Amino acid sequence: MNLDWSVIGENFNYLMAGAELTIIISILSIFLGFVGGIFIGMCRISKNPLIYYPSTAYVEAFRGTPLLIQIFLVYLGLSSFNIQLSAWDAGILALSLNSAAYQSEIFRGGIQSIPKGQMEAARSMGLTYNQSMFKVIIPQALRNALPPYTNEFCTMIKDSSLVSAISVMELTWSAKNVISVTFQPFVVYIFIAFLYFLMTFVTTRFMRYLEKRYAIPGMMGAE
Amino acid sequence: METPIIEVIGLEKAFGDHMVLKGISMTVYPKEVVVVIGPSGSGKSTLLRCLNRLNEPTNGKILFQGYDIMSPDIDINVVRSQMNMVFQNFNLFMHLSVKKNVTLALTSVKKITQEEADRIADETLLKVGLTEKADAYPGQLSGGQQQRVAIARALAMDPKVILFDEPTSALDPELIGEVLDVMKKLAESGMTMVVVTHEMGFAREMADRVIFMDEGVIAESGPPEEIFTNPKNERTRIFLKRILKEIEDMDPLKPKYETPELAPEAEGVKAAEEGYKWSQEHKEPDEQKRWLGFKFLKRDKKK
Repeated sequence: MNLDWSVIGENFNYLMAGAELTIIISILSIFLGFVGGIFIGMCRISKNPLIYYPSTAYVEAFRGTPLLIQIFLVYLGLSSFNIQLSAWDAGILALSLNSAAYQSEIFRGGIQSIPKGQMEAARSMGLTYNQSMFKVIIPQALRNALPPYTNEFCTMIKDSSLVSAISVMELTWSAKNVISVTFQPFVVYIFIAFLYFLMTFVTTRFMRYLEKRYAIPGMMGAE
Repeated sequence: METPIIEVIGLEKAFGDHMVLKGISMTVYPKEVVVVIGPSGSGKSTLLRCLNRLNEPTNGKILFQGYDIMSPDIDINVVRSQMNMVFQNFNLFMHLSVKKNVTLALTSVKKITQEEADRIADETLLKVGLTEKADAYPGQLSGGQQQRVAIARALAMDPKVILFDEPTSALDPELIGEVLDVMKKLAESGMTMVVVTHEMGFAREMADRVIFMDEGVIAESGPPEEIFTNPKNERTRIFLKRILKEIEDMDPLKPKYETPELAPEAEGVKAAEEGYKWSQEHKEPDEQKRWLGFKFLKRDKKK
């Protein structure tokens, strides 16, 4: 056994720069995925087949194929159509498109967990469909969807490591570089695994805080 | 004659091949309390939900204050803001406080300022006796309180008519009274109401007109005295007989004497006391309670 822990200290700033990019990529793609997910989720509950079927196909396509292939397709595949994105843009776009598919299902599940009577009551008082959606249904749906959103956010943070395959200089890519000069794979990988864990741990704590903060008094889960 | 608030002409509603409403015509005049009764599956709730187009009618006409609400020129949301509904399952907005439940439609449909809406909410919550619950959430209230909030929510809109869809059916028996009390107060204040209910007592006492529905048609309609004491339709008679018997059966302590004058009210209590005394003398302590119930059952069966 030849574990040299000093390589962490020597390459600390380099690895932290990678971690910083991982955080930025994760936040951006989670956010874009969230907005896209709400849009696609709304399409998925539409009764109009011209809206419903394309959105369903989208979700099935992104859920049914490997994220790594999606990243390659966006970065390398699109160049066949003379669309040349930078690795950074392509990485974030692929992650966002993928996350939007998953988050749309989470959002749809949240909407459909709200009893039909809520919409009926809102409509029966004269609120329009959109007003009922944004003032009555969605606020409750998002609360119900917080636990599955937490899952998806953590998945996104971890899956962001895949964009190292197209040379985005995030944490995993930086780690590989450090290993190639220090030959300490165990030390470096265990260290960045710990960094990923820290990020997801902060995320789960934050989401748990949101759950408590927005718990509805008198409902399940409220204190 | 005054212009009716609601006029229904030849209303039909089908769910797929199943005809639920087969040509309903009825009129509701201002300040009238119309109670719709009938066996389950007779289309009462569907009729009510067609009135504000929560269910889209298949055929027929519905006039609200003379305007055809099926016409494309009519903004159904404006109609609904004047024709509020109280649901069987309350359907309060669970994520909003009681007060916000009442003010939501005021601010977003009627575009009233929040301060003015709050004032109206205070007023209506006072009317249903829930001022102290203004900041509570629906999940923290009993069913009866929730339904009273739902009534306040409807009332706050200052509607021309309130539709009640079995407002007490989801309530525990001991909570029905408080909701009926509020409804009675509303009726007395001159609110126009269309009430689908199984509460025959309310129908008898408060209705100006009772409509008996059966299998998608109005089988009989008239003042409550007539419907309850002298129903002309055979099916009305059978229904009333059944439902009144059910109500009696639901009360386990009520002895079913055929000749009331032979049944002094204290008899039940006396029997209980005697039974208890006897059990004290003869039975083991843990069996005393069971014996008490047994005695009651036996008396009832005999009659």
